[in-house]
Amino acid sequence: MSLFGWFGKALRVNLSTGLISREDLDPKLLLDWIGGRGLGTRLIAGEVPAECDPYGAENKLVFAAGPLTGTRVPGSGRFSASSKSPLTGTIMDSNAGGTWGVKYKKCGYDALIIEGIAPVPVYLVISEEQAALHEAGDLWGADLIETDSILKDRLGKNISLAGIGPAGENMVRFASIISDGSHALGRGGLGAVMGAKKLKAIAVQGKKKVAIANAEKLDFVVYETGKWIKASPITSQGLPEFGTPVLVNLFNKLGVFPVRNFQASQFSGANKISGETIAETIASGRRGCYGCPVQCTRLIRTGKTGVIAGPEYESIWALGPECDIGELEVIAEANYHCNRLGLDSISTGVTIGCAMELVEKGLLTDGPKFGDSTGLTKLIRQIAYRKDIGDLLAEGSRRVAEQYGAEQYAMQVKGLELPAYDPRGLQGMGLGFATSNRGACHLRAYMAGPEALGVPKMVNRFNVSGKAGLVITQQNINAAIDSLIMCHFINLAVSEEYFARILSAVTGVEYQTQDLHRIGERIWNLERLYNLRAGLEAPFDTLPPRLLEEPVTNGPAQGKTVDLKSMLKEYYRYRGWDDSGWPLAYKLQNLVLEGIIC
Amino acid sequence: MLEEFRKYGRDLFLAGLNSSHSGNLSVRFGDRIIITRRGAMLGQLGKEELIETGLAKNDSNIILASTEIRVHRAIYKNTAALAIVHAHPVHAIALSLIEDEIIPVDSEGSYLLHKIPVLSAEHTIGSQELEHKLPQLLKEYKIVMVRGHGSFAVGPVLEEAYQWTSSLENICRIIYLTRTLRGEFKHINFSKYKEW
Repeated sequence: MSLFGWFGKALRVNLSTGLISREDLDPKLLLDWIGGRGLGTRLIAGEVPAECDPYGAENKLVFAAGPLTGTRVPGSGRFSASSKSPLTGTIMDSNAGGTWGVKYKKCGYDALIIEGIAPVPVYLVISEEQAALHEAGDLWGADLIETDSILKDRLGKNISLAGIGPAGENMVRFASIISDGSHALGRGGLGAVMGAKKLKAIAVQGKKKVAIANAEKLDFVVYETGKWIKASPITSQGLPEFGTPVLVNLFNKLGVFPVRNFQASQFSGANKISGETIAETIASGRRGCYGCPVQCTRLIRTGKTGVIAGPEYESIWALGPECDIGELEVIAEANYHCNRLGLDSISTGVTIGCAMELVEKGLLTDGPKFGDSTGLTKLIRQIAYRKDIGDLLAEGSRRVAEQYGAEQYAMQVKGLELPAYDPRGLQGMGLGFATSNRGACHLRAYMAGPEALGVPKMVNRFNVSGKAGLVITQQNINAAIDSLIMCHFINLAVSEEYFARILSAVTGVEYQTQDLHRIGERIWNLERLYNLRAGLEAPFDTLPPRLLEEPVTNGPAQGKTVDLKSMLKEYYRYRGWDDSGWPLAYKLQNLVLEGIIC
Repeated sequence: MLEEFRKYGRDLFLAGLNSSHSGNLSVRFGDRIIITRRGAMLGQLGKEELIETGLAKNDSNIILASTEIRVHRAIYKNTAALAIVHAHPVHAIALSLIEDEIIPVDSEGSYLLHKIPVLSAEHTIGSQELEHKLPQLLKEYKIVMVRGHGSFAVGPVLEEAYQWTSSLENICRIIYLTRTLRGEFKHINFSKYKEW
């Protein structure tokens, strides 16, 4: 079968033996799971035992592009990594933009499967002609800026790099993989998996052309998509001018901007760390991912670091108000160090926030205090190098709080720290966090869209009725979008029917919008089955007690808690799951998911 | 202000000048603009649907604002308008698809508007092209039709911009009805307003 969009090839690298092989991928596998998250989930579910040790040789790491990666579709220059997470114990995927995904795909592969554990640190170089492992002893210990610089000197300026910093090497449970210096596969500790495998970096430099089945149709749909990207104030003005920090003032005004480890929901100093303030003070330019017209990355200039990629909305919040810190330069610098050392800025900030509350409650002595901005960068370095208190915090908020018998102060779901939205003022977001397969993630079902931004339509954010259906729809379609792979921001300008048409034009396979929903539902249920097999059953579909029991103390959401119980019941029923959260037989049969998990 | 938006939003919808989620309203206050939220139902406006942002300068509320905000801003910057109504009146849209300008054939329409220009653009929604062309016409006319899309009307207050919108649709309905009669106009000639 002739393939368009896909190359139909996978590269398998066994780090234990050093064996590298090129494999054909079954076209049906690609048609059914598309790429990115879908393909990664399918490969992990089929090859990695759910009960395995995430740091062990049995665990694998799959890097996957999508059929749109490397085409000129706006927002398609992405790639994902999938594995079993050391932070959550769930199946985990994370994706990023930049240029790595495109240069990797153009080496001629849809998937890269990393298995085993290298006897010594190594890095992997992939081109169209060959793939080879090289010893990385001299790189081990280097941060990501240093690694990038050394390998570009060695391999050429045109390579693109995805790698880990000291945090990944030291197996910090929320270590990230960073590509192109600042594009993070942030969540879930995939950098720690890479560190456990002693794989420092992957350099890619492909130029192979991605074949398009129907270029004329693609031109037309891309043109139409571009019209809406230009028309939407979100993608043509808000994001290009302010980046994701455009959300700071908006969500603070709505009273869903958590402060002091979710003890309050409005931050008095929000404007000083907002997109508007960044634009007026430290912004020095902008840049975007491969082929993307939105260009949402803010470049900033700080006194200590020069011109760097500015912090995103989530990072500003996690390293700022979550820790009761409101100094923009401190936050920007802390974020820079997270990227440089290879740490997920959300989990870093929320874990520090948790420790701060333990100190406040008198449970932890000699720890960081709320509002203490002077020690933030030092603390981040301690975490990355597992030094002093950093060794404890490197375990993530759940394990830190458990150690002090105070799990209620860990703002996490399934071990993954909450992002920058207080779900007490966004009920659907609360259900989305609780049921997310990778833990508290805002991107699995971005309910802030309908509940706060009016995308695709505005719904009452405090209501719970009907939210289960909306959350499920978003979870399913986002799983498909993560498999194409498209940037979610493009989905703020055009609906998924555009994506189905783009996918059809690129691959020559007729996908309808409903096909994307079904593919997403299959991915979601396969992830669920994997997690259930790993022991994460219904009791894990919950939120921190604070969000269920403690009413918001200030702002427009004052007095609210998350009414999870009623939404969750409805959610299980809509999903076709039993009361224990297991998919019913008819659902498994309908989705053809039996026998996939190894 | 909410009451004003609510009143004219509701009337626009009930008069069939907008469908459930179409159209937008705005007013200008100095260097600020209040505009309906993107995708708002004009027939059911609440305070969450009124978005305030800068006339020249963006702030975070830009991501909530109507898709047509760039056109509204351009109109305010280039005219003395203090209020804008954008609607999708069906007869006017139909007529805009076959005419380059709309000349009223009824007395009141002719007295009030004389002539309504029809503007063509390749992109008609949130369009940079309209941002440049539309204000030039609204310097001279109270209301302009964008071919196949809808009307933009200006005034010192929302009521007046609403009036031009309502008048336009009435004018177009009368034209439509008289054309279906297939008869000749008796002792009346409005073609002189082509030069208006």
